[in-house]
Amino acid sequence: MFPLAVTNGLVMGVIYALAALGVSLVVGIMRVINFAHGELFILAGYFSYLFAITLGWHFLPAMIMAVLLVFCLGLLIESTLIRPTYGHEMYSLILTFILSIVLQNAYLLIFGPYPQKPPAWISGSTHVLGLFYYGNQRLAALLAGTLIIAAVFSVLKFTWFGKILRAASQDREMAQFNGVNTTRLNMLSFGLGCALAGTAGVILAPVFPVTPSAGVHVALTAFVIVVLGGMGSMWGCVIGGLILGLVENLGAAFVSTGYKHIFGFMILILVLLIRPAGLFGRKEI
Amino acid sequence: MSNRNKSLIVLAIAGVFGLLPLGLDDYRLHVLVICLNYAILAASWNLVAGYTGQVSFAHAAFAGVGAYTSGMLAVHLGFNPWLGIVIGTAVAGLAGFLIGVLCLRMGGIYLSLTTLGFSQILHIVITNEYEITRGTMGLQVPALMSVYSKTAYFYIMLAALIVTLLIIHRIIYSNTGLNFRAVQNDETAAAALGVNVVRVRVMAFTVSSALAGMAGGLFGHYLLLITPQIPSLDQQFLVLAMTVIGGMGSFIGPVIGAFMLNILAEYIRAYGEYHVLVFGLVALLMARFFPHGVVGLFKGKR
Repeated sequence: MFPLAVTNGLVMGVIYALAALGVSLVVGIMRVINFAHGELFILAGYFSYLFAITLGWHFLPAMIMAVLLVFCLGLLIESTLIRPTYGHEMYSLILTFILSIVLQNAYLLIFGPYPQKPPAWISGSTHVLGLFYYGNQRLAALLAGTLIIAAVFSVLKFTWFGKILRAASQDREMAQFNGVNTTRLNMLSFGLGCALAGTAGVILAPVFPVTPSAGVHVALTAFVIVVLGGMGSMWGCVIGGLILGLVENLGAAFVSTGYKHIFGFMILILVLLIRPAGLFGRKEI
Repeated sequence: MSNRNKSLIVLAIAGVFGLLPLGLDDYRLHVLVICLNYAILAASWNLVAGYTGQVSFAHAAFAGVGAYTSGMLAVHLGFNPWLGIVIGTAVAGLAGFLIGVLCLRMGGIYLSLTTLGFSQILHIVITNEYEITRGTMGLQVPALMSVYSKTAYFYIMLAALIVTLLIIHRIIYSNTGLNFRAVQNDETAAAALGVNVVRVRVMAFTVSSALAGMAGGLFGHYLLLITPQIPSLDQQFLVLAMTVIGGMGSFIGPVIGAFMLNILAEYIRAYGEYHVLVFGLVALLMARFFPHGVVGLFKGKR
């Protein structure tokens, strides 16, 4: 049971980390928390379902198209809703919260309350280390998530664009003095944050089917991870995501399944009590 | 407007409200009681959001804390519902105080995240502790009086709203209220002038949570059935939408918003359960283009 719970924890941890990276990117650059993050995660799942099942596409182009659409929606949200609220942190919180409720109710109206599941990439299961059988789809999700996280980190580390992102998140004004168009950068990073949520969504959707309100828990977990890792810290997201995934699944296996989702909240309280800046956080956000 | 005129208007409104139940059937009375309940919730949420600039997503959860505390005391221990509501109010206030102390020294975003988490957790605990809370089936609780009367509940709710508004009025037009607005306008400047920013925020949050607990307790004993719907994010959204549409940061705006939205919801209900979606879109447009709400629109024209 223990190795199985750990494997489950790793799979969820990678997905959580991916979703948290999106939140962290937006917090780092714009000091904005997008409360509709989970709904964009779900939207990507719905899109991939629509393209793959209703239109009969191959799952790969369906997923890419879904993430692209969510990216575009992110650009749209930033330019219409978030941009006028710069400097008024509270308004962006309220606007994105309302947006999340609107999206949830729109999904309910369009897709109905039933869980929808895009097709699995591969079938069957593997005998892991001679201990237990594990679904291939979940292993594929683990692999895909890890690859995407590695890709995000190499973009941040090795490309010109990554350099700009890191510069702006360290010191916005200095980046502006050096000729960075911060308005464009905000729009782009918000879109990328949404796209990361969407990527997590399309990877997880074949494992856990999407429902209109399933995003709430993912978003909440992503927020806890961002606080745990330290606002704006990218490594914090990966470590925090794995911790959350493992704690949740070990807790579900050995303590109580009904309270699975409570462990994350306990971690949040502990962090706020002991080390409010988070594991890798700077004092100021 | 002079003070004399103001008090005349207040008297006139109170008079109209006091006489309202005489000409109304049970259904209309029920809608009014619900309006009054949401008005308490919206007005007390506004105390935190509108006057200190902190966004709490646990206002419905605190109402749930009040409702379940009072309901469980009455059902399991045979407490008088009135006493239960008082205890529920205190427990909600205490929960608000603890969360406030925990988060508010770190700033606004942390409060929003933690309150969002808190309301989810409360939901999970209520559905899981089936033996005590009756889970999603709902907890059947006794009424506040021996003979159930909607008119009586109307007056009780009206009195509760008036008490709430008096408390809020008292706070925002006192020195404390001045501190609230100073903190909202410029935290650093307020701190430099000797305002204890954290204490001001925690105090506003505690009062607001306690008022939510009271509203929740009253509402539970009015419906006679307490369900996890009371502390849900949907309810939280409705309270937020009423405040945003009515006018955040204005004294009377949330009350107007509560009445508008609840009455509107009754008309929309005829076409199906679309009211949450409609309110969401309206609130989104209002928050984006008219951040001072309906009240602000009228003030702007004058």
